Amino acid sequence: MAASRNVLSALTIMSAIVFLGMTVDTLRKMPARTHSDQISDQVVEGKRLWQHYDCNDCHTILGIGGYYAPDVTKSYSVRGEAWLQQFLKNPPAMHPTGRQMPNLRLADAEIGPVVAYLKWVSEIDTNGWPPSPQGVARQEPEGHKIFLAQHCNTCHAIQGSGGTLGPDLTHEGSHQTEAWILDQLNNPASHKAGSVMPSFAQLPGREKEELAEYLGGLK
Amino acid sequence: MRYQSQKLAREYFLAALLLFLLQVVFGILGSVKYVWGYDPLLNIVPFNVARTIHLNLLVFWLLLALMGATYYMVADEIQTEIYSVRLARIQLGILLVSGVVAVVGYFFQWSFGMPFLEQPTFIKLLIVVAALIFLYNIGMTMFTSHHQLTRTTATLLGGMGMLAIMFLFGIPFMSNLSIQYYFWWWVIHLWVEGAWELIAAALVAWALIKLTGVPRRRVEGWVFAEVALVLLTGIIGTGHHYFWIGTPHYWLWWGGIFSAAEPIPIMLMLVDGVRSLLKARTLATVNTMALAWLGASTFVHFMGAGVWGFGQTLPQINRWTHGTQITASHGHFAFWGAYGMLAIALMYTILPEISGRKPANGKEGLSFSAFLSLNFSMIFMVMALLIAGIVQVYLQRVMGRDFLEVQEHLRLWFQVRLVAGAIFTVGTVALLWDLFRLARPLPATEPVTQPKLAPVS
Repeated sequence: MAASRNVLSALTIMSAIVFLGMTVDTLRKMPARTHSDQISDQVVEGKRLWQHYDCNDCHTILGIGGYYAPDVTKSYSVRGEAWLQQFLKNPPAMHPTGRQMPNLRLADAEIGPVVAYLKWVSEIDTNGWPPSPQGVARQEPEGHKIFLAQHCNTCHAIQGSGGTLGPDLTHEGSHQTEAWILDQLNNPASHKAGSVMPSFAQLPGREKEELAEYLGGLK
Repeated sequence: MRYQSQKLAREYFLAALLLFLLQVVFGILGSVKYVWGYDPLLNIVPFNVARTIHLNLLVFWLLLALMGATYYMVADEIQTEIYSVRLARIQLGILLVSGVVAVVGYFFQWSFGMPFLEQPTFIKLLIVVAALIFLYNIGMTMFTSHHQLTRTTATLLGGMGMLAIMFLFGIPFMSNLSIQYYFWWWVIHLWVEGAWELIAAALVAWALIKLTGVPRRRVEGWVFAEVALVLLTGIIGTGHHYFWIGTPHYWLWWGGIFSAAEPIPIMLMLVDGVRSLLKARTLATVNTMALAWLGASTFVHFMGAGVWGFGQTLPQINRWTHGTQITASHGHFAFWGAYGMLAIALMYTILPEISGRKPANGKEGLSFSAFLSLNFSMIFMVMALLIAGIVQVYLQRVMGRDFLEVQEHLRLWFQVRLVAGAIFTVGTVALLWDLFRLARPLPATEPVTQPKLAPVS
């Protein structure tokens, strides 16, 4: 009994030493894996704001945190800088129905650092996490991916899936031309004064065309 | 109860129970937000505030309960009064004030912003002060006594010391998020899968000796083995949190293998507990509810921490499940089984001894209804979250659907969770009712006149 206890204690102490050794090695390797040379004052300020507004208790980052809102590890690479900037300015406007992020009334001087921080986070070497999807989503038309990525489905439904705040787009191509849809994306007020739809003028031209082509093809 | 200072436990327990109720209320608030698309409280109590308070109160009430039980147990084990009742009261006061200030502050965005460790730095320093007072008080009690430390008290002191040291790693702001999270896990993981496990093992051993009459030698023989195995698997097992946060690839091997062995000591605790409980029948007075909570705790500890944890600890699986509702399911199940139920078991053990009331036997009062409603609703909640998590992994991670779109598909399971949460709330109220009844001192009766004994010459 005493002998086996001594063996167990020795193993436990050894495991603590191994753990500390691995910690030293890990801390030596992490600057390269996290591009710590890219941590500018702006990035640090962004992290400070991220913590100040307690973003992490709704969102996960590196998969850790609240599970209530999307993981932001790859937000920068998926959404892009322009989208993030517009979203952070007034989140409910970009996402008017369903689960919402409150408008934190961030000043422009705060949005810049937060976006810079998210850019830095998106470049951390995470050993391939999150995994890329394996399912049929890959074969979906490019326009539909943009439709989902821009949260159009919050307000608009296609074939029963999506919100009801805006018109159903299942047969959009039978009603409107691609050019009309492009105008609508660039300036929603051009067709209806006071439209609550946010403008998507900031999207890259290619994406807007893909989206218009996809929606125009829905007959 | 043999020592007046043991009454301290009651003050700690009653404070803990009120915070527990408040924790549950904020849990309900959070789960309503999951079900309703429209949130009327979006700008008053947003989800992050509700979650922060839910998590903070969890840690607060468990710590208060474990500390209260420690004061009681240490006096009991080394047969002496606690070194200073006044210090223990000051400690409780500091903890309650810092808790209240922290909770109120969260409504005004006064947050450090790391999950579980949202307390602003000066509150954290207050908590450190309270912990130091506690360690000093317990340490002085132990070292000024003529009695030798028992193995259980030594384990307990070790756990409390480790808890205090690990907390320090959660205090500084680090500019690199990955490194911040590396050390954040030294608090979170090395608490719940290290320090707290030591504290729990010691308190379970003490309660088993007390409640079942199983010889100390036998119970204590296991404690060291369990504790050594907890640390042996748990320390390097921290690596199962170092898969995806910017840490080197070798953690996938080390973390996976060592954490896969973490259920072994928990299984030993279960076997050990069940074997002791089977012998409980031979005792004259049986504290039925304390035994029920203790027995159920060892089982749910094994299921929630051991099985649910093992289920997603291998990197091949964790890669898909990391950061989904499956983690929420595991978190609820493990915390409830390992620590929540244990705290309640200790209250059922200790409160009747302090108040002089008959231990709850489950036939009178609300004790058995509370036991059933709390445990069954928790199992429902955990199952609902597990199913939500599996559907989420499939739709979001495998099929690549958008997060918010997938959340819509999970609504049914969030509704089930809300119903379970409502039942859990009712159970909490019943539990508080029952434990407050048990805690009330017996009304003063005619002083019993002791027959005068002839002085021993």
